[in-house]
Amino acid sequence: MNDSIWIRVVCRLYAAMLYGYPREFRLRYRIEMQQFFRDRCRELARERTGSWVWITFSLRTMTDWIGSTMRERRIPKLVQEWAVTLLMFLFVTTTMVQAYVVPTGSMEGNILVGDHMLVDKVGFENGGSNWSSYVLPHREVKRGDIVAFRSPDNVGMTLVKRVIGVPGDRIRLENKQVIRNGQKLDEPYARHTSPGIDDYRDNFPTAPEFYTTAGGREMFARNVQDGEVIVPPDMLFMMGDNRDNSLDSRYWGFAPSNYVVGKPLVIYWSFDAPTSDYVKWNFRHVEDVALHFFSKTRWERMLTHPRSQAAQ
Amino acid sequence: MEMPEVRPSPDATAKIIVIDRTAGSAYYIRSGYNMKKPPDLLPLTPPVFHILLALADEERHGYGIMQDVARQTNGALQLGPGTLYGCLKRMLAAGLVEESEEGPDPELDDERRRYYRMTPLGRNTVRAEASRLAGAVSAAKVKLGLAGGK
Repeated sequence: MNDSIWIRVVCRLYAAMLYGYPREFRLRYRIEMQQFFRDRCRELARERTGSWVWITFSLRTMTDWIGSTMRERRIPKLVQEWAVTLLMFLFVTTTMVQAYVVPTGSMEGNILVGDHMLVDKVGFENGGSNWSSYVLPHREVKRGDIVAFRSPDNVGMTLVKRVIGVPGDRIRLENKQVIRNGQKLDEPYARHTSPGIDDYRDNFPTAPEFYTTAGGREMFARNVQDGEVIVPPDMLFMMGDNRDNSLDSRYWGFAPSNYVVGKPLVIYWSFDAPTSDYVKWNFRHVEDVALHFFSKTRWERMLTHPRSQAAQ
Repeated sequence: MEMPEVRPSPDATAKIIVIDRTAGSAYYIRSGYNMKKPPDLLPLTPPVFHILLALADEERHGYGIMQDVARQTNGALQLGPGTLYGCLKRMLAAGLVEESEEGPDPELDDERRRYYRMTPLGRNTVRAEASRLAGAVSAAKVKLGLAGGK
């Protein structure tokens, strides 16, 4: 019988999974189990069923595999349950959501210092794990989205900011007012804390200054045209909502769109503590949490969702 | 699934064969296993019960057993390969089923497959389990007021 390439591939995979069983069991039942699995695949393929059947089939197979390998290896029930829980936890936290704490006030107004949030890693096309985009719904990053992304300066650090420019957009600022493609943006989410005008910050782009990093200097050298920054392909221009106090694309340049981790999903805990406590671990913070958990937790922020909002 | 435990009765004079020592506690069955009392193995877990039912009318290979179990339960119980062969291994050790010859399945293809067949002990056991379940069901009917087609 001629099997499709897919059936042959999954049968190979299953053959490899059989190494999870103890040697004795494997040697005795290997051939029969492979026949069984292949027959099941052929039957499903003959029925020409939808993709959800294949998804339930693979989930069933995984459950069967986990349950029976542990059983054949005589792992106690208690350990089995915890092992499965731990595996699920690792799977979910590495590919689907991740917990972050926001250390700086660059989004102040919408996101506060000390907001602990879960980030949805599969919602965007360029999210952290790309395989999921084949199965799960996802969309492109749009202007106005709040996104979590790796800092171009320090890949180990995750930032949360708002997307202001997508590839092709022309951006400039005039007295704190963002002008995109020649249009003034009405940004209800933006916040201004200092009345003074800083030429670099508020009449961007001018010329690199002290705080401009290498990425920012490159942007100035290559992507400024007629007093406007033009966002190149596969890059995003990010700004914090706290406009007067935000180190963002104005300073470090564009964020590559594949640095996007995901979108903030829910704030599960918000604790009022200074930036320094979240940047560097210290014992005083632990003590602070222990003593003032109830009074310093911003209860009203719990389980809220930082809204994406398009500028008018 | 719980391990079906088969212990020799105290008056056992028949020859004892150690079938499977891998099971943590070793299983023993008597050479004349059809004399074994089925109640020792009860209650059966759902997979074991349905596998025995699948083998009640004819001998089948693994995939055939799975298909028949799915039919019996209207698709509620879909045995995966690991569960099925794990059960078969323990049922072989307990003497509920035995391996039959290998041969091709005329419907699927001409590949050789191993067939399984129920032993007399298996038949007695599944009968005993069925009547045990029937007893439980009728007790439930009485308690829940479902009896007598009211």
